[in-house]
Amino acid sequence: MAGVIKKMLDNIIAKRSKGDITMMNLTKAKLIFKGLNPDKFTNTSEDDPEMIKKIRAAAQEMGVSI
Amino acid sequence: MNIKTSYSIDKNLDNAVKEISSGLNDINPEAVLYFASSNIDPADLSSKMQEAFDSTTVFGCTTSGEITSGKMLDNSVVAMGLNSKAVEDIKIEVLENISEDSNTAVEKALKSFENHYGASMHDLDPKKYVGVILIDGLSVAEEKIMDRIGDLTNVPFIGGSAGDDLKFKQTHIFANGKTYSNAALLALIKVGVPFDIIKTQSFKPLDKILTATKVNEAKREVIEFNNRPAVEEYASVLGITADKVSDYFMTNPVGLMIGDDPYVRSPQHVEGTSMIFYCNILEGMELTLLQSENIIDETKKDLADKEKEFGKFSGIINFNCILRTLELKAKQQTDAYGELFSDIPTVGFSTYGEEFVGHINQTATILVFK
Repeated sequence: MAGVIKKMLDNIIAKRSKGDITMMNLTKAKLIFKGLNPDKFTNTSEDDPEMIKKIRAAAQEMGVSI
Repeated sequence: MNIKTSYSIDKNLDNAVKEISSGLNDINPEAVLYFASSNIDPADLSSKMQEAFDSTTVFGCTTSGEITSGKMLDNSVVAMGLNSKAVEDIKIEVLENISEDSNTAVEKALKSFENHYGASMHDLDPKKYVGVILIDGLSVAEEKIMDRIGDLTNVPFIGGSAGDDLKFKQTHIFANGKTYSNAALLALIKVGVPFDIIKTQSFKPLDKILTATKVNEAKREVIEFNNRPAVEEYASVLGITADKVSDYFMTNPVGLMIGDDPYVRSPQHVEGTSMIFYCNILEGMELTLLQSENIIDETKKDLADKEKEFGKFSGIINFNCILRTLELKAKQQTDAYGELFSDIPTVGFSTYGEEFVGHINQTATILVFK
């Protein structure tokens, strides 16, 4: 399997921003500050279990269910 | 006029507070924000400022230099009053003992805001509400606090780390007529006029990447860049010898790039072959080497661009990095910097770090009101 990380990060951004472009950029910036850069992952990125765990924790902290 | 500023360089505290209050009281301020040199007795000042403005929300912090319309000052008090048309409502919370457990303190403060405004922090409109954060600049707690605030709300929080005139002994937050250290103040404002945020820094990204491959987060230490000792690798990408790296810290910090926009992380000093920064760098973080440009030109351009998009400013709160101030002083450009804000009611201070999204360096984070 591949691409799960990208989908998870996109999902966090979509849910936190509710379609507002300014909020999309802000949420992306917050993720980058957490060391989770959405631009570093694509639909073919390997599903690294450690990274997936980290993203789940970030989503929980941000109040987003993914 | 909904926003007005006043300042005093009077060494007599009673006179200074009187000068400030007489400059602001005619707009009947809903909130008074002030910044003062740490060389002025902080407890006495906080008490007298609260007394002068009675039931108004009065808050601020100590600095390493103050900014007001047209001037960069030292050993002064600068203040801004905002009336009820500019500030429809304001609630402040002081977070104490932030070096120990900042998450609980942030959660408690945001819960208090929710109770005050009767809405979840997740639901407050980021176009109507703005947060101001003033934080002890020696607490090393900025990253955790900004991260947790960012988790819990989309309302933007902007601010700076309090200074102590480069003594690096103790900074103070002013609120409720008292002073606090190892503390942060959060103010959540329901703004009555349009507002926006400017983040300006004077650096261009170079085509050189430094990935932090080994760090000690708690110490803000980078042990390795690109799997090599940090100092050696930083020197190598700059094309200099390792013994000269600290000469380049001011002109060549690194940036966490978000799109084309660098969030600056400034090296502070060398420890062995490691580099200690003024803010946190996480393991795996990819950073871009930056090259300094002209602070006056870049700030002027960013202010002009925002004014063109937004309209004329009625007030500015400027959190300006002490490293920028030191560079302006070295180049004898403090008057030129002050003049950028000469026609606009402005307060600000030279900070030990700037807050916006996260904790950043060598930047000015600026809140502008229309």
